[in-house]
Amino acid sequence: MENGIRGYHPYVVFFYYICTGFLVMYFKHPLFLATALIILICVNISHDRGKSLRKWMIPLMVMSLFFMVLNPFLVSRGTNILFYFRGKQVTLEATMYGVVMAIALVSVIVMFVSFNILLNGNKFLYIFSKVLPRTAFLLMLAIRFVPLLKSRFDEIRAVQRVRGTTMTVGTLRQRARNGMYMIQVLLTWSLEEAIQTADSMKARGYGIGKKTSYIPYRMEKRDWGWLATLLVLFSVCIWGGMLGYGKIVIYPELGTLHLYVLDWILFVCMTIILAFPLIVEGRERLRWKY
Amino acid sequence: MVNARTYLIVSSIVVLVLLASSILFFQHNAYLLVSFVIIACTMIPFFARFEIRKITGREVVILAILAAIAAVSRVPFAGFPSVQPTSFVIIVTGLVFGAESGFMVGAIAAIVSNFFLGQGPWTPWQMYGWGMMGMMAGLLRNTWWMKKMWGKLIFGFIWGYLFGWFMNAWIVVSNIENMTWEFFISIFVGSIYFDLAHGLSNVFFILIFSTSWIKIMNRFKKKYGLLVSS
Repeated sequence: MENGIRGYHPYVVFFYYICTGFLVMYFKHPLFLATALIILICVNISHDRGKSLRKWMIPLMVMSLFFMVLNPFLVSRGTNILFYFRGKQVTLEATMYGVVMAIALVSVIVMFVSFNILLNGNKFLYIFSKVLPRTAFLLMLAIRFVPLLKSRFDEIRAVQRVRGTTMTVGTLRQRARNGMYMIQVLLTWSLEEAIQTADSMKARGYGIGKKTSYIPYRMEKRDWGWLATLLVLFSVCIWGGMLGYGKIVIYPELGTLHLYVLDWILFVCMTIILAFPLIVEGRERLRWKY
Repeated sequence: MVNARTYLIVSSIVVLVLLASSILFFQHNAYLLVSFVIIACTMIPFFARFEIRKITGREVVILAILAAIAAVSRVPFAGFPSVQPTSFVIIVTGLVFGAESGFMVGAIAAIVSNFFLGQGPWTPWQMYGWGMMGMMAGLLRNTWWMKKMWGKLIFGFIWGYLFGWFMNAWIVVSNIENMTWEFFISIFVGSIYFDLAHGLSNVFFILIFSTSWIKIMNRFKKKYGLLVSS
């Protein structure tokens, strides 16, 4: 049995990501989004001390800078003009929009990094095997084949290098041709092996009955409790957002950034939803200590 | 199982209601979410068909390995921007194994390769783009011009652009509030060279390798009687 958030039922965790993804794209207020980003980064740190997030640091920074800088210069919609650049107006609204978009996009990607850590392999298969069993199976097979094909490809590359076929020297045309030639070798080899894999699957009874999961997940009381909590908070957020709270008017003129009482309520709801893994992990750590 | 017409009517109504409600209740702010629903509605029939269709273990494994090859082949070419044989593998699969298999391999290849290159909100768009590429190759495979080399070349070249435009559409939809014609045009102009590279690399791979790949796959298909009906 795994600890903390990993011990929860995959459905609950999956629902958490649906809520998170939806809300991050739904709210437009900079405070909401900035908080969401910080919480999601903390969630990632709580998984593996931010190891997998660190690989994403540079592309994320480049992408957000790209949006923040490019948007004001590309789009000249808006009323409040900051300055002119080569005769085009650079507006406060477009700048704001660039910032909001950048934070939202980065948050979504940070969320997916955490998604890949929590719902990998078995759990991912479990979620989809109820709805699309064969597609989920096909997907898992394909994912498993990737490391296998990589190691085969390395082998092919080593052999071909002795023959003088490499991808490191020659013109672009030649290198592309050599690369593709090696993939063709990989194709022939793998198709033949695939038939054997399939036959051994059949020998072990593939397709006779319903597929079962290797780990039997069961919905416990705490799973139902969190599912209900998330659902209620999520509905509150959606309802508030429909009334226009938690959002700002950007075009044609930047609206007020002031937060009303209802905004704060939505803010608290959103924070609790997003912090679900942190709350779970934190509570478990407290129990362990005291 | 619901028949095709019912599904079409129901999903069109759902999409229409969502579009209307996104304007009425969300002040044009929810297009990104609506676009996800639309993409889901268009892809569900393909996955449903794959689920109910009679298919052996062998065929599932072959599709999985083709999707994995399509995904992995992005790796050795990571150094060249937009040059990747993924599209080529998907087109060839569509040509040999038919439209349904082409779609499945394209869609699965998109998910699998993104497990390594980064999953994100663009995954459904890539699934759809590559899935449609494989499906169209499968649908057109019996036309007289698709049997000629130049037909395949034109097909590959056009799809380099179609795929690029499709991915541009993702950027536009996720920035819908920002939509001005300048923005729209600048995105499509900005991608011309990348799409050109994609189209040309498709042409290159199809020109040199399609004959041998089709031969290899056809041999397997015949030898083991795979996916013959489709």
